[in-house]
Amino acid sequence: MITLNGTTGITTPDIDSIAGFDGEDLTGDVAAARITGALNATGSAPIYACRAWVNFNGTGTVAIRASGNVSSISDTGVGDYTVNFTTAMPDVSYSMVCTVKGIAGTIFGLGGENHDMTRTASAIPVSSVRRDNGASYDTDQFNVSVFR
Amino acid sequence: MKRIIYQTNEGGVAIIVPADCGLTIEEIAAKDVPAGVAYSIVDVADIPTDRTFRNAWEMT
Repeated sequence: MITLNGTTGITTPDIDSIAGFDGEDLTGDVAAARITGALNATGSAPIYACRAWVNFNGTGTVAIRASGNVSSISDTGVGDYTVNFTTAMPDVSYSMVCTVKGIAGTIFGLGGENHDMTRTASAIPVSSVRRDNGASYDTDQFNVSVFR
Repeated sequence: MKRIIYQTNEGGVAIIVPADCGLTIEEIAAKDVPAGVAYSIVDVADIPTDRTFRNAWEMT
């Protein structure tokens, strides 16, 4: 074991001069260019991350396949669910993107925010309806993403 | 696998499907069941899989 006693005569190399390292590796600071590069983002437009997402099966035994920042979904009826966030959004002004799988026979489905219920910072009600007649239906692919 | 069930204000039944989020089912119930509403934790096998009359389900 080597014990350093004092500081005189101790020199360290410039970390940026060592192949594969730079100052960020010591400080933990990451340059914005490295983040956009890792995300394959070009140009100067800002990046806003998804704050919550879920993919679930709304048929048979309703089940969540995968999710992020979602604590649960509440199945409240045919085609009606509420997505509950593990950590709440800062306010209710978030944007929600919702897609659903259609029905066999080339009938498209529409997914969106449930008009009859109120969104909160911690949950959003969503519904799936048939495009041809507007009737509620259960779909085996329900996808919700939230941005803020 | 467990589910949380409670009666809605409209007289129907809501079924909460927990996510793999690091919370216990009790913690999810405390957070996601509306305040003041009684609930039960049941086995997923106790929930019908035939949803033909889903909107007519009642708690017994």
